[in-house]
Amino acid sequence: MSSNYETIIGLEIHVQLATHSKAFCGDDARFGGAPNTQVSAISLGHPGTLPRLNRRQVEFAARLGLALDCAINLVSTFDRKNYFYADLPKGYQITQDRQPICVGGHIKIDTAEGTKTICLHHIHMEEDAGKSMHDADPHHSLIDLNRAGVPLLEIVTEPDLRSADEVDALMSAMRQLVRYLDISDGNMEEGSMRCDCNVSVRKQGDTHLNNRCEIKNVNSMRFARRAIEYEVQRQIGIMEAGGTVKQQTLNFDPETGITTPLRSKEDAHDYRYFPEPDLPPVVITPQQLEQIRTELPPLPWALRARLRTQYALPEYDTQLLTEEKAVAQFFLALAQCTTQYKAAANLMINKILPWCQEQKVAIEQFPVAHAALASFIELIDTGQVSNSNAYQRIFPQLIEQPERTPLAIAQDLNLLQTADEDFLESIVDAVIAKNPDKVAAYRKGKKGLLGFFVGEVMRQSKGKAEPKTTNALLIKLLEKQ
Amino acid sequence: MPKYTSLSQIQTALHQGDTTLAAIVAYYLTQIEAAQALNAYVEVFAEEALQRAHALDARFRDDPAAVGPLFGMVISIKDVLCYAEHEVTAGSRMLAGFRSLFSATAVERLLAADAIIIGRTNCDEFAMGSSNENSCYGPVKNAADPTKVPGGSSGGAAVSVQADTCLAALGTDTGGSVRQPAAFCGVIGFKPSYGRISRHGLLAYGSSFDQVGIFAHSIADTALLLEIMAGPDAFDSTAGTSPVEAYSQHLQFAGKAKIAYLAPALHHEGLDEGVRAAALAFIDQLRAKGHTVEPIDFDYLDYIIPAYYVLTTAEASSNLARYDGVRYGYRSPAATSLDATYKKSRTEGFGAEVKRRIMLGTFVLSAGYYDAYYTKAQQVRRLIFDKTRAILSDFDFILMPAAPTTAWALGEKTDNPVAMYLADIFTVQANMVGMPAISLPVTQHPNGLPIGLQLMANQWQEQRLLAFSNEVMLNIL
Repeated sequence: MSSNYETIIGLEIHVQLATHSKAFCGDDARFGGAPNTQVSAISLGHPGTLPRLNRRQVEFAARLGLALDCAINLVSTFDRKNYFYADLPKGYQITQDRQPICVGGHIKIDTAEGTKTICLHHIHMEEDAGKSMHDADPHHSLIDLNRAGVPLLEIVTEPDLRSADEVDALMSAMRQLVRYLDISDGNMEEGSMRCDCNVSVRKQGDTHLNNRCEIKNVNSMRFARRAIEYEVQRQIGIMEAGGTVKQQTLNFDPETGITTPLRSKEDAHDYRYFPEPDLPPVVITPQQLEQIRTELPPLPWALRARLRTQYALPEYDTQLLTEEKAVAQFFLALAQCTTQYKAAANLMINKILPWCQEQKVAIEQFPVAHAALASFIELIDTGQVSNSNAYQRIFPQLIEQPERTPLAIAQDLNLLQTADEDFLESIVDAVIAKNPDKVAAYRKGKKGLLGFFVGEVMRQSKGKAEPKTTNALLIKLLEKQ
Repeated sequence: MPKYTSLSQIQTALHQGDTTLAAIVAYYLTQIEAAQALNAYVEVFAEEALQRAHALDARFRDDPAAVGPLFGMVISIKDVLCYAEHEVTAGSRMLAGFRSLFSATAVERLLAADAIIIGRTNCDEFAMGSSNENSCYGPVKNAADPTKVPGGSSGGAAVSVQADTCLAALGTDTGGSVRQPAAFCGVIGFKPSYGRISRHGLLAYGSSFDQVGIFAHSIADTALLLEIMAGPDAFDSTAGTSPVEAYSQHLQFAGKAKIAYLAPALHHEGLDEGVRAAALAFIDQLRAKGHTVEPIDFDYLDYIIPAYYVLTTAEASSNLARYDGVRYGYRSPAATSLDATYKKSRTEGFGAEVKRRIMLGTFVLSAGYYDAYYTKAQQVRRLIFDKTRAILSDFDFILMPAAPTTAWALGEKTDNPVAMYLADIFTVQANMVGMPAISLPVTQHPNGLPIGLQLMANQWQEQRLLAFSNEVMLNIL
């Protein structure tokens, strides 16, 4: 039955900006302070206070808009959205209604069917409200106004998404982008990124849009998925029963996994938007915009393409290495020091990234210099050290003593491979002598045993035997009757 | 007759050692005491004003050059201007006992120039009113005739100067709240261009109209106070950035002025005969001095008041939303839920006129009515702005009565809000267009009450407006 229906989803994504101070006053805007310690007369909405624009958020908004190919309004305006709530000190939220800073734009997401473009309606600036806690005290609701006035960008998409998977992909792409742009930490758990989902369904083949429901309070991807899946089934159920879905705002309860009406269209808030008289229009000059464009960091999709084409890395590697900007930058810096790009990618994926994750440090804090890592790669590539010795013994040492060269460490640990035939021959002889039945079997045609002999030589030489020479020598002596 | 009518008189007396600042403050405190029945003040900062006066006297004795330009200025502030660690209540029960954490920029700048703030004055609740009868502290009475209103909303401020309880007063003017009471009380009342003085620390009523204004006996004092308070302010993004001129240094008006008067204003049916006669006589005096005065048409006069009330109440409905009983101010003891906290606190905390305007403003912004009221009023504002600007590109000033009548009797209009609103018909235009305007106490009505006439100039033309006003006060009247 579900397959007869198409799901239509549009998102309103709220991104909390990582500015030092709030949108319209100097209060500390960072997350995590003791409740109500990051407030002032302005953010408390005291009589006589006025907002003062933090220009930083304008720059951040323009950065995001440029990255998403939006048209940037050089003049945009603020409006007041009026409603009463205990965590909204002024009784209105300063937002952009008529003339937002960014219009249009799009973003590409990866779906099961390939890459898909999601169009954006607009992006606007606004301030966050405080936080209400309803279950911390049996008799009261508690209000923390640290968040009141923290700058937000609201990204409004067109109804271009067709499944919870696509929502997931969009949110991941957006989180990655805001981190690349250094405008937000994109952390859903701390509420730095939240979304409201507008969901409707229609019969396959229909072209009109049915009534939609807006699901509020979706603060993790897992909840978003469950909320959407529940809501889609609910709406299909209504339509299958011959009913019509009512346009309404819903609340998703993660405890029960169901959505419940918050308010219907009839008693939807009348926010009475009107121009904010306390703030003049926000003006960006073409020069300022150009400056912001010039300073844009490379974007994730551009870096992925570069890793694919310039460094010939497979798709899997490019995905992993561009997940975070710092990781990609680490790779690019490393690629400046070596031409063994695939080996460099392997080293990062198999050793460096896992180490950082274990130690819970950012990649910028990885102790070994790019040049040293390049020599490390070279030690393996030139056959001076075996792959396993390099990874298992030299690498940990290198992290301990990043000031030393990988070669010095290899020498210390006596791990340099040797192609010295006299040295190797003595070991090969000993191995052959020790395994007469295997030698006989080999000579009878069980050539697969060569691997066994190579392994034995490696073991005896403690990994120092250079594999190529060892191979040749083994074959020569084994073949000799 | 006031003991002092200008700061220069006081400063001369201080420099000659004829008196001390403490003695002057003591004099004004006695005056306040004597005028208590007028109810002009809601709080007198007697002790701290005296202390500050003694400290300034001592500094002045040590080094006469070590005091600021407002040394000797004793000034009152309207109860909608914040003064750090002092109460500010906007004449409302809603803010009973509320102390501000900071000072308004205007107040801050006065203090930095060594002025003494002697008290805060009564006003209509949240500056909403034209008679100073909408105050939780009770009405203010006109010193010229205590059975009459002083005008509003800065009635207490006007009376504080009129009754010689201070040398000057700060008021606020959203639609005439400085000029109309100045006219009713026979003092100078000046509203600068919108944004000339920072609104930081002014309890907002209509944010795109509100402006700090000055009451004084002399143009010289008005100009000096403006000069000190005006200018950009990091705390108010709408404060103008155009340079602040040395207004007090250039008060000579050179040449002849070209003045327009709005013909429909002088023929308005609501205009009192005595006020009309005074205006016409004043026009004759101006012409006699060689100034040009010409009538001009103005089709929008009757749209000004409706548009003004739509726009200011819309802004007020939002500006006053913060008074919700949650974080500060009045909270109804009967409130047991969030919803009840809002409803009961606001119902009990606000007076009738404030509630009327909040409801009106909420209505005109509501879905379905927005375009018919709010949008339309914005368009009217634009038309009035364009027309006024056009007039002021041909003329230096626009002349009008400050109010259509003299002060009316207490209680006379309290049951008729629309009649009350029409008292602002001549003053609102300057706020609609953000231009400076001044009410000058030109004469007395046959009924014995003061009459004020108003001059309006183009945006940022405070210099010329004040210089010409000085010319009027010194050489024409």
